[in-house]
Amino acid sequence: MSDEKIIIQVDPDLEELIPGFLENRTADISKLRASLDDKDFVDIQSIGHSTKGVGGGYGFDLMSEIGAEIESAAKVKDADTIGEKINQLDDYLQRIEIEYA
Amino acid sequence: MTIKKSEPSVKVLIVDDDNDVLNLLETWLTAEKFDVKRALSGIEALNLVGIYNPDLVVTDLYMEGMDGMALLTELHSDNPLLPVIMLSGQAQIPDAIKAMHLGTSAFLTKPINQNEFLDTVKRVTPSLINKSILNECTKNIIYKSKEMSDIIEMASLVADNDVSVFISGATGAGKEVIAKAIHEASSRRNHRFIAVNCGAIPEQLLESELFGHEKGAFTGANVKHEGLFQAANGGTILLDEIGDMPLALQVKLLRVLQDFEVRPVGSTKTYPIDVRLISATHKNLEEAVEKREFREDLYYRLKVVPLEIPNLSDRTDDIQPLTEHFLANYAKNNKQDYKKFSPDAMKYLVSMPWPGNVRQLMNVIDLCATLSKNKTIPLSLVKKAVHDDPIHMQTLKESKQAFERGYLLSVLRITHGHVANAAKIAGRNRTEFYKLLNQYNIEPASFRDKKNAEKEVN
Repeated sequence: MSDEKIIIQVDPDLEELIPGFLENRTADISKLRASLDDKDFVDIQSIGHSTKGVGGGYGFDLMSEIGAEIESAAKVKDADTIGEKINQLDDYLQRIEIEYA
Repeated sequence: MTIKKSEPSVKVLIVDDDNDVLNLLETWLTAEKFDVKRALSGIEALNLVGIYNPDLVVTDLYMEGMDGMALLTELHSDNPLLPVIMLSGQAQIPDAIKAMHLGTSAFLTKPINQNEFLDTVKRVTPSLINKSILNECTKNIIYKSKEMSDIIEMASLVADNDVSVFISGATGAGKEVIAKAIHEASSRRNHRFIAVNCGAIPEQLLESELFGHEKGAFTGANVKHEGLFQAANGGTILLDEIGDMPLALQVKLLRVLQDFEVRPVGSTKTYPIDVRLISATHKNLEEAVEKREFREDLYYRLKVVPLEIPNLSDRTDDIQPLTEHFLANYAKNNKQDYKKFSPDAMKYLVSMPWPGNVRQLMNVIDLCATLSKNKTIPLSLVKKAVHDDPIHMQTLKESKQAFERGYLLSVLRITHGHVANAAKIAGRNRTEFYKLLNQYNIEPASFRDKKNAEKEVN
């Protein structure tokens, strides 16, 4: 994984919401890892679905794409892909840098 | 000190079980000066509706407990015109079609695009309703009265929303004109508008006309026939004189409205349809329901939004503009100079009871324009035309001929212009059948081409 920052431009109207939104997504990573350990694919599918639905609206298009991939993988109980995508989402969250413009 | 009264904000209730989605929608909406209330479930939303009285509801489709579809049904049982925007993380077309038929104003897929969302909110909110929809609805309707203005406004509100519209009104009042205007103002305008007079088609043929039939479904059905519901797919179908529909067929229509699919006569297969249904009648269907001549469940399914067109005599403000419109049409169609009525003749026209409504007015005006040798039509001629033209009542012969012609068109449509089969269905030999076709100037070959086979039934 690279250390390079990913710059995301976000609408200034959403500035107050972004910290809470990103905290929720970080919490999702922990929930996803725990659910993967428990093989709770229903829960994983649900979190993937929510991530897909909400990411793009805030300006995080890649987050929506990863959410959709997690949802699809959970439907077929593909634990390997889910693990890979959780890591990708985690990496993405750590590297993003917000510019309000 | 004077206090300037500000415009009240448009009230939007947003419903989603995800706080991050609610935060996002609320931020977008408040930035555009909407007043916003939020609910984390369908039940919470229902509790808020009575207190908050929103102008618009935006709801997620998939939620724990009461989902968006159930919420929509509950909301519309109290207020069928309340616009509802449905959001879904799944782009599933059957869900979208079902939601639209249940009366959703718009269906958006997550992740939501800010511009698309706000444009949709502005498009469906009644107080912000796009003037172009109103203009589309009014462009082919001539009116000046408050009564018709109210009808048109209601038609504009429901135009871009697949909710079932039920138009009642006396013969000649303009039920089909309003139905067509709703179609033209809707997003279905680029697809077909098909009007079917349920009273003009024999019971045995009506099912096949509406839902189609398979080859060999009955004697004479030598080719497969696509019904009018399938022909109108994507567009609008008007079932005129729905009160004349036989009870057995009412059950089948109800099933179509519930499942959004049709099963042709003699087929085991069903076909999905996406058609907006408008129904109309001059009969009192409540009475028909009481007499068990019309199914109550179908009646309520059809009558989600009732539009009652008043008699012409109850909207006399419309008589002068309609008269001028018909005179202009007459002049244009006959390449003649525009004629006008003398002031006392116009006064007389406005004072008449017009039992045959707009259709009778049009006939009288055409008659006056034809008979008048002068550019100004005098009162004496109007009185004569009205007296000579109790046009609202057809003679028995005219009625029989209209029925016979409708019947012949139906059997030819069903048999795709196959005269021997059509004659067999009609119980006539070929020679007699050809004579009838000649009498009504009907050309069977025109039904053999698929495109021509789908002509409007009336």
